[in-house]
Amino acid sequence: MPVPDLDLLRGTLDLLVLKTLSWGPMHGLGVLRWIEQTTHQRLQIEEGALYPALHRMERKGWLAAEWGITEKNRKAKFYRLTAAGRRQLAAEVSKWSHYTEAVGLVLAAEGA
Amino acid sequence: MSHESDRPANARRAFRLPRGGAQVDAQVDDELQFHLEERIEELVAQGLTREQAEAEARRRFGDVARWRKEAAAIDRDQVRDERRADVLDTLRRETRQAARALVRAPGFSLVALLTLALGLGAATAIFAVLDAVVLRPLPYPAADRLVWIDHQVPLVGANDRWGLATVNYFDFREHVPALAAIGIWSDAPVTMTVPDGSPERVRGAEVSASIFQALGARPALGRLLADYDNAPGASGVVVLGHGYWERRFAGDSTVIGRKITLEGAPVEVVGVASEGLQLPQQQLDVWLPMTLDPAQRVNQHTYAALGRLRDGATPELLRSQLVDRERRFSELYPGVYSPDFFTSTGFSPAVTSLHEHVVGELVTRTLWVMFAAVGLVLLVACAHVANLFLVRLEARRRETAVRTALGAARGQLAWRSLTESLLLTLGAAALGIALAFGALRALVALAPPSLPRLAEIGLGWPHVAFIVGLAALVGVVFGILPLLRGSVDLGVLRDESRGMTASRHRNAVRAALVVGQVALSVVLLAAGGLMLRSAARLHAVPPGFDAEHVLTFQVPLPYSRYQWADYDKVLELHRTLARRLAATPGVLAVGGTVSLPMDGRIGCALIGFEERGPDGSNRGACLSYTTVAPGYFETMRIPVVRGHAPTWDEVASGTAGVVVTRSFAEHFWPGQDPLGKGLKGYSNLGEPPYFRVVGVVDDVRMEGLAKPPTEVIFFPMKPGPELQLWGAPHALAVTVRTSTGDASTVLAAARAAMAQLDPAVPIDNVRWMERIVATSLSQTTLAMLLLAIAAGMALLLSAVGIYGVIAYIVGQRRGEIGIRLALGAPAAMVGRDVVLGALRLAVVGIVIGLAGAVATTRVLQSLLYDVSPTDPWTLVAVAALLLALAALASWVPARRAARVPPMEALRTS
Repeated sequence: MPVPDLDLLRGTLDLLVLKTLSWGPMHGLGVLRWIEQTTHQRLQIEEGALYPALHRMERKGWLAAEWGITEKNRKAKFYRLTAAGRRQLAAEVSKWSHYTEAVGLVLAAEGA
Repeated sequence: MSHESDRPANARRAFRLPRGGAQVDAQVDDELQFHLEERIEELVAQGLTREQAEAEARRRFGDVARWRKEAAAIDRDQVRDERRADVLDTLRRETRQAARALVRAPGFSLVALLTLALGLGAATAIFAVLDAVVLRPLPYPAADRLVWIDHQVPLVGANDRWGLATVNYFDFREHVPALAAIGIWSDAPVTMTVPDGSPERVRGAEVSASIFQALGARPALGRLLADYDNAPGASGVVVLGHGYWERRFAGDSTVIGRKITLEGAPVEVVGVASEGLQLPQQQLDVWLPMTLDPAQRVNQHTYAALGRLRDGATPELLRSQLVDRERRFSELYPGVYSPDFFTSTGFSPAVTSLHEHVVGELVTRTLWVMFAAVGLVLLVACAHVANLFLVRLEARRRETAVRTALGAARGQLAWRSLTESLLLTLGAAALGIALAFGALRALVALAPPSLPRLAEIGLGWPHVAFIVGLAALVGVVFGILPLLRGSVDLGVLRDESRGMTASRHRNAVRAALVVGQVALSVVLLAAGGLMLRSAARLHAVPPGFDAEHVLTFQVPLPYSRYQWADYDKVLELHRTLARRLAATPGVLAVGGTVSLPMDGRIGCALIGFEERGPDGSNRGACLSYTTVAPGYFETMRIPVVRGHAPTWDEVASGTAGVVVTRSFAEHFWPGQDPLGKGLKGYSNLGEPPYFRVVGVVDDVRMEGLAKPPTEVIFFPMKPGPELQLWGAPHALAVTVRTSTGDASTVLAAARAAMAQLDPAVPIDNVRWMERIVATSLSQTTLAMLLLAIAAGMALLLSAVGIYGVIAYIVGQRRGEIGIRLALGAPAAMVGRDVVLGALRLAVVGIVIGLAGAVATTRVLQSLLYDVSPTDPWTLVAVAALLLALAALASWVPARRAARVPPMEALRTS
């Protein structure tokens, strides 16, 4: 069962989206599904919040969007990572790991 | 993946998919709709009912409206940014391309740029002058409420104006409701000595303290004058002008309270006027309080006056109130104003707006004429550049057609031609501003010092806006030109000869432009020619004296040490000075006068005659008079035609008579011998003794070459026994005729002499008489010079225009000419035809221009001297000049045509 109220830290959603899209172009719902599956539905995201995030990143040039057709023959907006997005992802990932590492160190010290 | 760096914005531009606000919303809706529907289906597939699935999907999604709004807002921002970038990008690209196109045709660009810059610069320079002098309000708060008050005396002289007396001042101040304030003043050049300095002549005025109220003035330092400074017996004070304070006291604020010496008496500096504060048409160094005694009532209308209207009052209302007041003057001030005074002079108050008084009708008219002239030059310049554009358009017809065929939108082509012409005209504006700046400096240097508001002339933002606006307008017109001409004619691509009819049409347009240029040039040349002719006539007028090599200067004697009527002391000083100067090498003659010819107004007075005139009167009102020192007529080479001029000995012994001019003698004693006649001025006019006329001199044009000779009485420097004059000449202008025109030895001798005679008296106002004459003509000279320059520019542009069109037509008709030559037409005839073609154009232009000139040169009437505005000789000369020019301009293309090798011409066609 999903861990309740595991609020996403600000900026974390961006990181998740970028990482997800690094596997290939997807529409919004596809991104959500991917996150659900990989986290075994442990992260609860208010789905609508994804869209402003996508559009913001598109505006920043990290993502490019294109209208396409799904396998069910539906029109959907597909997002893909741009070169700038890839660079951003790398930066975010390294920032994230530094952050968790540091937090982990503190937590470890407390637990000892 | 290389295509990953492609930004969607670029893709959209390439495929022309604009995105508007509504489209943004629709796309966001589609995206969210897809999400929700997909989810619902997924949930239904998991076993939920449709309703349950819908509710669950919405729950998971959150606030749909909110998320849609946020996403759409982001997209809208992006669209806006892209659009802005798009516009800037296009602008940059188009400008770059236009600049490149202009650089590729340097001949065209340079000529067009310079022509337009000249036209725009000239128009802007004159506009700046017009603006500063005529259009802008005077530099006072609420300047439109300021009026000039004086009196008309139609029975004395049609154009004579008398000022205010102190009686008027006190009366008007109290009893005229339309006046918020009134101030009076009179000029008072004074000699000032600061504690550590040598005596210096400064420009001053004695004013009523209320003048500051009328002008709305404030002190920069200390205080301005107050009414108690005007009271009789008040201690001497002075307010310094701002400029003088900065110049002479280096802006020292401790100057307040300091004592300085004015005309030999100590006065205290009480204040400094605010920056730029001046009486109209003056450059005062010091403001002095005049003594105003209400008890002293004299009918002496010598003061200039300026009033400030109360809110809502008009000059007409003020005038009617002044008239009402003065109608009662003979009963209110019986000893001062007799009813007889009003009936004999026609004395009545006049009110003019101060702006009108300062600027004057003649100056306003002159400047508008100049502005019209430069406007015409600009039109000629524009016609010229329009012609250049047409030639260029012709040359680019193929290029344009190709671009159109390749799918360039009409709008794009229009945009291109617009950017090109705007770039050119705005570049010309930038250059024009520089030209206008230079031209203004030259104008200000050349302008007559009498030109009102000279100091206010300068180039400001309104003028820059004017030139840029004008340039933009011209640029847009030029940019639209090719569109009107249906430049997108794909026919050129198919068949070269198809362009023939179109190009004939184009030639007609170009010919019309040239005709217009010629016509405008005729108008300008006619105006310039008339001014030139007028100036030539004016310069040919004998002034009645010989100004060459005559130096003049003043030795202003202070009243504190030279009493008002101390004739002997003043006489002795001048006699000694004259003797010393006469002994100086290079000095041919020495004289002196109170009123130099052509240097401001000569004074006039009521003169009494010994004999009664035919009308029974023995008085002449306002007859011009001045005082001269012995040697004056000799110095100025004014011939003495009868009798003699008094000598120093005669003057010193009080036996000197008066000299009158020939026209004076003929006016008052027609057919009689003027020698021995008696006349007098100042007092007891009806009683003997009288001055005797001892000499008659030839006529002198005292008030300028354009005015008729003035009838003048020349009084000696000292009256005989029992006779009275207006006081000793304290500011006599010494006149020295030199053999070489070298001032330094004369001035050195004068300084040496004055150092012995009275070291506290400065040598002031040193000028050459020739300069004074030139200055009196400078307004006409400037108008003439500017019109001549304008006409010259128009002429040059017309000549180039005619040459361009004829040369172009000859180039186009090479084939035809070749055929004619091959068929045996004489080369001379071919050439003649070309010249005739040009002359035909010129004649049409000249006829139109002459009609225009006859219709418009009337505005020059008041600027012309002894030349009719439709002077036939001038018009004929202008027509001939333009015909000759047209022939000359077409001569080169005609020769080229006659030399066309027939075979080659046939081949190229």
